[in-house]
Amino acid sequence: MSLDQPEPIFLGGTVGKSVAKPDNLEKVQGRAEYIADLYRPGMLHGAILASPHAHARIRGYDLSEAMQAPGVVAIITGDDVGEGRMGAFIKDEHAIAKGKVLYVGEPVAAVAARTEEEARHACRLIKVDYEELPAVLSPEDGLAEDAPILHEQLADYIKVFDAGAEGNLCSRTELSEGDVDAAWAECDVIVEDEYTTQPQAHVSMEPCGALAEVDPNGRVTLWSANQSVFRVQANVCESLGLPMSKLRSMTPRVGAGFGNKMEPHIQPITVALAMKAKRPVKLILTREEDFEMVRARHPFRVRMKTGAKSDGTLVARECEVLVDCGAFADDSPGVMGYSLLMCGGPYRIPHMKASGKLVYTNKLRFGAFRGFGNPQVLFAGEQQIDQIGEKLGLDPFAIRRKNMLREGDQWFVGPRIGSNGLGRCLDAVERASKGSRADGSPRNFGLSVTAHISGLLGTGAIVKMLEDGTISLNTGATDIGQGSDTVLAQICAEELKLPFDTVAVASPDTDGSPYNWGTTASRVTYTTGRAVKAAAKKVVDQAMNHAAEMLECDVDDLELREGGRIGQRGSNSDVTFAQISGRAHWAVGGPLVGSETLVFDEPTHDPKRAIALGLPFPRIGVFSFAALGVDVDVDDTSGQVTVHEAWSAADVGRAINPRLVEVQLHGGFVQGLGYALYEEMVWDGARLANPSLMDYKVPTARDVPDAIHTYIIEDPDPTGPFGAKGAGEIGLNAAPGAIANAVAKATGARHVHLPLTGERVLAGMLDPGGPQD
Amino acid sequence: MTEVLSPGTIEEAVAMLAEYGEAMPLSGGATLIAMRNAALVEPSHLVSLDRISDLRGIDRTADGKIRIGAMTRHCETAACAELTGSLYVLRRAAGMIANRVVRNMGTMGGSVANADPAADYLPALACCDAMLEIAGADGRRSLSIHDYIDDWYETALAEGEIITAITLPAPVEAPSTYRKIARVSGDYATASCAMALDPDGQGMRVAIGACGPGPLRDRAGEDALRGKLGEPAAVAEFAGKLVAIADPVDDVRGSAEYRLRLIPRLVSSVLSELTTQKETA
Repeated sequence: MSLDQPEPIFLGGTVGKSVAKPDNLEKVQGRAEYIADLYRPGMLHGAILASPHAHARIRGYDLSEAMQAPGVVAIITGDDVGEGRMGAFIKDEHAIAKGKVLYVGEPVAAVAARTEEEARHACRLIKVDYEELPAVLSPEDGLAEDAPILHEQLADYIKVFDAGAEGNLCSRTELSEGDVDAAWAECDVIVEDEYTTQPQAHVSMEPCGALAEVDPNGRVTLWSANQSVFRVQANVCESLGLPMSKLRSMTPRVGAGFGNKMEPHIQPITVALAMKAKRPVKLILTREEDFEMVRARHPFRVRMKTGAKSDGTLVARECEVLVDCGAFADDSPGVMGYSLLMCGGPYRIPHMKASGKLVYTNKLRFGAFRGFGNPQVLFAGEQQIDQIGEKLGLDPFAIRRKNMLREGDQWFVGPRIGSNGLGRCLDAVERASKGSRADGSPRNFGLSVTAHISGLLGTGAIVKMLEDGTISLNTGATDIGQGSDTVLAQICAEELKLPFDTVAVASPDTDGSPYNWGTTASRVTYTTGRAVKAAAKKVVDQAMNHAAEMLECDVDDLELREGGRIGQRGSNSDVTFAQISGRAHWAVGGPLVGSETLVFDEPTHDPKRAIALGLPFPRIGVFSFAALGVDVDVDDTSGQVTVHEAWSAADVGRAINPRLVEVQLHGGFVQGLGYALYEEMVWDGARLANPSLMDYKVPTARDVPDAIHTYIIEDPDPTGPFGAKGAGEIGLNAAPGAIANAVAKATGARHVHLPLTGERVLAGMLDPGGPQD
Repeated sequence: MTEVLSPGTIEEAVAMLAEYGEAMPLSGGATLIAMRNAALVEPSHLVSLDRISDLRGIDRTADGKIRIGAMTRHCETAACAELTGSLYVLRRAAGMIANRVVRNMGTMGGSVANADPAADYLPALACCDAMLEIAGADGRRSLSIHDYIDDWYETALAEGEIITAITLPAPVEAPSTYRKIARVSGDYATASCAMALDPDGQGMRVAIGACGPGPLRDRAGEDALRGKLGEPAAVAEFAGKLVAIADPVDDVRGSAEYRLRLIPRLVSSVLSELTTQKETA
């Protein structure tokens, strides 16, 4: 922690303390159990046959040779999965390819055998008769008049969100407020450019995997690496035509999910295999399959135009995006709509227009990825803010301070902004980064700001007081390694004034846990935390009623004391939670259980101020804010960029666990650095050319700066638990924009294409005004 | 299933390789095991060279040369104090291979035999004018590093032959170094440059990696450049000759065009580093 960081406010309890995650020890000792560590009696191993074609009709299968192969018990294909389709926005996806394949790598058949090696061997013996079709490999091609159509029955699909889906167009969104077309005339400075961003792979340390078992009554138990046991349940049941009550979804430890484990991966295939084999089946993707089959960050084409008055006041912005959806809608309509909602950045811009088209292509599905469309538009927008500042002689801090949103302002299209610590984030970064380097050399400094929501959809919590007065907390929120179990236990313990270690957190289980949409959208601390706090409060209230009877006094005269005691104000007499819970369990009233469910219900759209067509999230969330400064080095020989030092300040409302917030800021920055500088999934025709960690490079410890300074700004949100807002994504968003601004400072060249490889930066150094590719 | 054999001598090893047609020699396994796990190779037998003591160690021969056993790990080469002056380039290259885990397992013989054009040893060895000692069922031979690469991943090693040692000329007092352009720490080179100045500082030897099937070296050009290292035009003309013999590919690490652009920049940048070292020495 740095000197610039305000002292955390302690409430006497655990909130605001950097409690160590209880699961640290088992992970360090290698004893944490992931899917790979789970075994069931009689368990088989699965393997997948992937499509070699980008677009082809399946005319038939010949499984005879594969069925004869050693160890094989069952094989499934599209013929085994019925007509059900799944999808968060548009139900366009079968459990496994059926009728057609839509991308190279799409699962076409799967084998369950005694060993993984036997299953993989048998996969190679499956013969599929394909009729190859012309492929759509870019959104531009997908919109062409004579383009081959991926989803011929698109009109008939069930659409949770229907925004103009037609042909290869998956969705379109148009948002506007003010009068952009008229506003350009008011502007003294206008910058405009077209930007492209690349697909990024999630590279979770744990590849996707699942283990399914069917009991004698036909009920399925499914363990999988996921970000939501409930989305797993919904997707498997929709695609396989099962009632949700026939599937129990659980999760062991999860080796990270950055969006890739939110919606389905191979859970439906694993369940179908187990149902056919009538034996438990475990299926885990190889790293290569994980790259090729699951999902990735969307490549964007962004046209952006920003105008300002000569004093630096922003007047208008227009943003148009063309987004590659991949073969299935997945979360894409949400990502595109969210990117447009965020494309103005945290600024007051009176005239705004944002529009986008999302187009199906014959590539793997693009989907949710930490940042959710925000980094792509920020890469464009934050460079334009700097360019306007440069033209007007305003430094990067000054132009941002002049235009930033204030508390009480509304966000573009209308959502309410609660607390807003952006100004303090800028102060922290400016104070820490100003001046030169320790050796006296000047900095190549770049700045970007960002905001991100936390909120969205349904969640719940059940707090049970056990007989001895300790607590069981059950939320259904998957801890994907980021520490949400710890944070939620802290919130629960704080509300009950109990020590942190008296709260046990139940593992998510659709049978026993209240609904939780998922560990996504930076939402668990904020939304689930609210439910936990409210459920714990109900337990306190129930305990108070018991205590009033036990102490023969009025409830209003009672106080909750540290360590699980309730006593009369002004008196030493009190009763313990153990006494209260014992009485409740055995004598009076029944066991103490508090539960709360909620759904984020504040409207996104304010029809008085904006027009919104195809807005994917009608109720979205509260806003966190951040500022990121970076100081980069550019190698004269190669053009390669390294980040020398970074300063990341985030307003997270209230840091329930400051260390875990810092870790999010560090991790987000490093993932954003990889995205900004070298991570890129490259296609060679229709085939992914680099589906391995040899060819696809993520930053190593040696590629990140020693000094990534973090500053936690606490501007409590009135609706958040103890004021907390989300912190999961905000550390990543600003990295590409800040690094691009620093590179422009160092080289004099602006870059419109990500990633900023040595090759691109060198070309810019040699010809700063020249064309880019 | 692959069977692993563990011969105790070079003769036993080459006999086993000759006996089993589908056998492959296994040295550190840093690449081969990953390839086998990915089913890119499916050998019937792996002939492990691990127990053959004759393949180990770095020694100075009677005539002052340095002899590096083929099973020498990258970490040993990277820490070898004998590799100074004109041979420092090899030590530096070894220290830049992949990451510590790979350096603890991978061997020089294995790396040279695999002949990945983007790997680090080949340009460093080409810069040092190394000789390879080779053993096969028909006996032993030695070969200049300059005659070793035939084409992309194709070498002068015959079926069943193994590299037993790499011999380097005696080190002389002259600065040398290895520079690698790579996307991230531990990646294969996008392009690399191994360079050593002549002891009198008047000339240099330079080999470029990852810009063709083997290291680029223009010895006639180096001779012509002697005495003109301080003339940028002459150095540029020399670098142009390296560009002319380069045959780079487009791949995920960079385009062919970028690699061609890097060659003269690497030559002038590394030359200036070594010249400064020489002047301040």
